[in-house]
Amino acid sequence: MKKVIIYTLLAFLSALFLAPFFWLLTTSLKSPTELYLFPPKWLPSALHFDNFAKAWTSQPFNLFLKNSLIVTCLSLLGQLLSSALVAYGFARYKFKGRDALFILLLATMMIPWEVTMIPLYMEFNYLGWINTLKPLIVPSFFGAPFFIFLLRQFIMTLPVELEEAARIDGANPVQIFLRIITPLMTPALVLVGVFHMLNSWNDYLGPLIFLNDQSKYTLTLGLAQFRGMYGVDMEGIMAVTTLICIPPLAIFFMAQKHIVEGVAGTGIKG
Amino acid sequence: MKKSAMLLTAIMMVIVLALSACGGGGNSEGSKDQNKGNTNTQNEGKDGTGNATIRFATWDTGEALKIQQEIAKKFEAAHPGIKVQVEPYGDGFDQKLAAGFGASNPPDVMYMWDFPTYYKSLEPLDGFVEKDETLQIDDFYPGLFAYNKVEGNLYGLPAGFTTRVFYYNKKLFDDAGIPYPQDGWSWDDMKAIAQKLTDKSKKQYGIGVRADNDTYDLQGFVWSNGSSLISDDGKAIEGYMNSKETAEAIGVLGQAVKEGYGVLVGGKNQQSGDDIFKAGKIAMWESGIWPLEGFKEAGIDVGTVEPPVFPGKDVKGVLAQSAVSIAKDSKHKEAAWEFVKFYVSEEAIKMRTADLPIRISIVEEKGFKEDALYKPFYTMLERSSNAPAFLLHPNWSQINRNLSVAVEAIMLGNNPQEMLDQAVKESEKFLK
Amino acid sequence: MSTHETAIIPPQAAKRRSKIKWGRATPYLFILPWIIGLFAFTLGPLLFSLVISFFDWPVVGQVEFIGFRNYSEMFTEDPMFWTSLGVTLKFAALFVPLNIIIALGLAMLLNQNVRGKSIFRTIFYLPSVISGVALAMIWAWVYSGEYGILNYFLSLLGITGPDWLNDTTWAPVAIVIASLWGQGTMMLIFLAGLKNIPKELYEASSIDGAGRGRQFFSITLPMLSPTVLFNLITTIIAAFQQLTLALVLTGGGPMRSTYFYAMYMYENAFKYSKMGYASANAWFMFLIVLALTMVVFKSSSMWVYYEGEMKQNGNKKKAK
Repeated sequence: MKKVIIYTLLAFLSALFLAPFFWLLTTSLKSPTELYLFPPKWLPSALHFDNFAKAWTSQPFNLFLKNSLIVTCLSLLGQLLSSALVAYGFARYKFKGRDALFILLLATMMIPWEVTMIPLYMEFNYLGWINTLKPLIVPSFFGAPFFIFLLRQFIMTLPVELEEAARIDGANPVQIFLRIITPLMTPALVLVGVFHMLNSWNDYLGPLIFLNDQSKYTLTLGLAQFRGMYGVDMEGIMAVTTLICIPPLAIFFMAQKHIVEGVAGTGIKG
Repeated sequence: MKKSAMLLTAIMMVIVLALSACGGGGNSEGSKDQNKGNTNTQNEGKDGTGNATIRFATWDTGEALKIQQEIAKKFEAAHPGIKVQVEPYGDGFDQKLAAGFGASNPPDVMYMWDFPTYYKSLEPLDGFVEKDETLQIDDFYPGLFAYNKVEGNLYGLPAGFTTRVFYYNKKLFDDAGIPYPQDGWSWDDMKAIAQKLTDKSKKQYGIGVRADNDTYDLQGFVWSNGSSLISDDGKAIEGYMNSKETAEAIGVLGQAVKEGYGVLVGGKNQQSGDDIFKAGKIAMWESGIWPLEGFKEAGIDVGTVEPPVFPGKDVKGVLAQSAVSIAKDSKHKEAAWEFVKFYVSEEAIKMRTADLPIRISIVEEKGFKEDALYKPFYTMLERSSNAPAFLLHPNWSQINRNLSVAVEAIMLGNNPQEMLDQAVKESEKFLK
Repeated sequence: MSTHETAIIPPQAAKRRSKIKWGRATPYLFILPWIIGLFAFTLGPLLFSLVISFFDWPVVGQVEFIGFRNYSEMFTEDPMFWTSLGVTLKFAALFVPLNIIIALGLAMLLNQNVRGKSIFRTIFYLPSVISGVALAMIWAWVYSGEYGILNYFLSLLGITGPDWLNDTTWAPVAIVIASLWGQGTMMLIFLAGLKNIPKELYEASSIDGAGRGRQFFSITLPMLSPTVLFNLITTIIAAFQQLTLALVLTGGGPMRSTYFYAMYMYENAFKYSKMGYASANAWFMFLIVLALTMVVFKSSSMWVYYEGEMKQNGNKKKAK
C-alpha cells in the first residue's frame, strides 16, 4: 500500500516536471504552421527532424559547441581542484581569522553581478583578455564560494578518525588530502562537477560581456541570437535548446549514481 | 573628475595585480597577453591607414544578421586592408555597449537609436558628410535625420527604419463577410469591426493589445489625437502626458480589453502577439515591419492599413530607426567612416530586407509605394514628423518609468485619466 | 559510517613524511587559491563598485563625486527602491521556505527504496538543465492567459484560470512557481546529505520503537542540518538575485508587482546608465543579504550538528 502511494506520487510529480520539457521537445518537431495552434497540439502530425538541422546550421553552432566544450572542460578541471583544496582548509583546520575569512567567502557569494561587471571588464580589458575565452576559464582555478561552501559542509560531516590515524602514521597534509579525503569526497566532487558543468555550459552573461567576435561565441550566445530586439525565432530557440541540453543531461544521468549512491558505498563496502 | 577616477581605478588594478602576482606567479603570462591584446585591439590602425580591423556591433539577429555579414564581406572585398568584425549582441546589446563604453573599449561602428544617452561618446558625422559627395545625402528620406541629431550635430546615419501599421488577417475578415479596413478608417470603425470578429468560444478576438506596451510606440496614437507626451520645448508634461486627448488615445486600447473585443497578449515578453496573430486568433494587430515575413511564412493572408483616425484629426505615426554611428574613442575613424558610408550605400541598402529602405531611389526601384502591403509604411513615414519624447528631455527615461506603469494599469482596466495624472505627479521632479 | 579499514595509509607515504615542514602555514596554503582569486577577481571590482557608488557615474559622460547623495536619494526620494525591496522580500518569504520544503520532500521521496530512482532523479533535475532564457520562454507559453497551456488544463477541469502574468496578484505567484520548478540543485544536495546519514542510526532507533515522525525530527533533521544550512543560505541569496525569469516573463510588471530589487538595479545600470546609483543599490542589497546570512550563520551553532568538528575539537584538546 505504501509503495502504491509512493509510486503514484512519483508519477504525478514526474508528469508535472516533464510536461514543459515534453512541450519543448514536441515544439521543436512541429511544422511552422502547427506551432501556433490553439488548443495546443501535443503531438505533431509529422515529426520534422529537419528542424534541428535547420536551426543548427542557421549559425555556426559547431564552432560554438567547440568553444563551449573548451570553456566547460578547462574550467571544470580548475574548479574541482581549487574548490576541494580550499574547502578542506576551511573544514579541517582551526586557524587565525578562519571564521572571518569564511564569512568573507560567503559574502562574496552575494555580490550582485551587475556592479562588478564593468570593473571586471576593465580588468580583463587591461589584461588583454577581452574577446578570449580566458575570463570564462581562469577565475575557475581560484575556487568558487558556492562550491567551497558545499564541499566544506560535506567534509565537516565526515568522521575525523581516518585522518587522525593517518597523521599518527606520519602522513603529511597533502597526502591526507589526496589519499583519504579525496576518495571520501568523490560523491561531493561529482556533485560539484555536475553543477559547475551546467553553470558553465548555460552561462549567458559572462560570454555576452567578455566575448565580441562571433567566432569566440559559446552555445548560449548562439542561442540568444534567436532572440532579437524585435522578435523571437521560437522554432530555432526550441530546437537548439533541446539539442544543447542533451550533453549535460546525459552526463547528469551517468553521474547521479555516483553522487547519491557513492556516499553510502564508501561507508558500507569498506 | 573623470581623470582622477580613472587614476584611482588604475591604482586599484595595480594593487590587485601586484597582490595576485605575489601569490600566484601567473603574472608573466598575464603581461604577455596584455601586449597581444593591445596589438589586436588598438595598434593595428597606427601602422598606416591600411590594415585596420573595424568592430561593428549590431542588435540584428537571424536573417538580418546574415545580410549584414554579407555587406561586411562585400566591403572587405572593395577595401583591401580593412577587416570588419561583425559583433552580434542581439538582446544583450545595451549591456555590451555599457561595458564597452564603460571600459573605453567600445566597438568602432555600432547600431544606435538612443542618441540622447550615448551622443557624448559618439563621433559627430557632419564633417564627414559635408566633404563626402559620394554619400548622396539627398537620396535619404529627410525626415529620418531628425532622430539622429543632438544639439544640432549629426551622430548617426540611418540604415533602416520602420513605421507602424495595422496588420489584419484577411481570412477572418472574409469568413465574417466584413470589408477590409481602408486608410482613413476611424477608431469607431475599428471597434465595430473588432466586435464583429470576436468569437470567444473560438478564443478569437478583434484586436490584440500588448500588456507591456512600449510608450514610444503609443506616441503615434497620442499625436493622432492632437496631443503629445511632453511639450515641444520639453519643459512640461502636465497637460500633455495627462491631457484628455492622451488619456483617450491610450484608453482606446484598455477599453478594447475591458469590453472584450480585444485580448491582452505579450509584446516581446510573454507569449507574443505576433505568434497569436500567426495562430489566426486575432484579426488585427498593430506593429512595425518586423513580423511581416513571419506572417507570410506561417501562411497568413495578411493585409496592412494605416492606423485609425480620431474624428476630424490627422493620423500621425512614430518611426523606429536603425542608425549607424562611430565611437569617439575609435582608433581608426577614417576606416570606420568608409564602412559606414558603404553600409548606407545603394548597394548595401538594397541587400537589407528586414526593415525598410531609407533611400528614395531604392524604394522607387523596388516599387514599394505601389505594393499594397508596403504602401502604408511609406505613407506613415510622411506622417511621422513629430519629435518623440525621448529627444525632448534628457530625463525622459526616468519619466517614462512612471508612464509605463500607468499604461500597464490602463491596459488592465484602470481609469486612464487617473493613472496618467498620477504618473505626471510622480514625474514632475524629473523635469527640473 | 561503520568501518574504515580500507583507508589505512600505504607504507610508502609514511616514509616520505619528514621532507616538508608542515606548520602553521598549512591551512593558509590550502585556502591560498581562493585568496589569490579574491584579490585578483573579486575584491578589486567590489571596492571599485563601492567607490563609484559615491559618484554620479553615467556610462558615458562626466563623472562627478557626490558623496552620499546616491544613498540618500535611494532612501528618501526614490519610491521605486522601496517598491522593489518589498517585492523581493515578499518573494523571498514565499520562495525560501517553499523551495527548501519541496526540495527536501522530493529528496526524501527519492531516498525511498523504489525502482527507477535514477530516472526519477533525472526527471526532477531536468528543469535545472535547461538554460535560463529558454526556460522563461517555456513558462511564457504555460502562463499565457487566453492561450496558455496551464489555463487550458484548468479549463478541462472546469476552472477559469487567471491571466497569470497580467494580474498583479498572480504574477508574483507565477514567478514563485516557475522558480520552484528549478529546485533540482537543492534536491540533489539534500539527497547527497540524506545518503550520508548512517543507516545504523535508524535501525537503532527502530529497535527503540521510534516512529517515522520521531525519526525525522530526532535523526534526519539533525544529521541533515549542515545541508539545510547550506541550502538555506544559498536560497536566500538566490531569492535576492532573482532576475532572469522576471526580466523575460513579465519585465517587472504588471504595475511593478514583479519588479524585483535585482531588476531595479539592473535597470538603473543598463537602462538608465546610472552606474553609480546602481552600485549604491547593490551595496545596500549586499549588506542586507550579508546581515541575513550572518544571522543564519551565527544561529547555526544552535541547530547545526557537525559530526566531524565536534570530534575534532575533542581531539584537539586531548592533543594539547
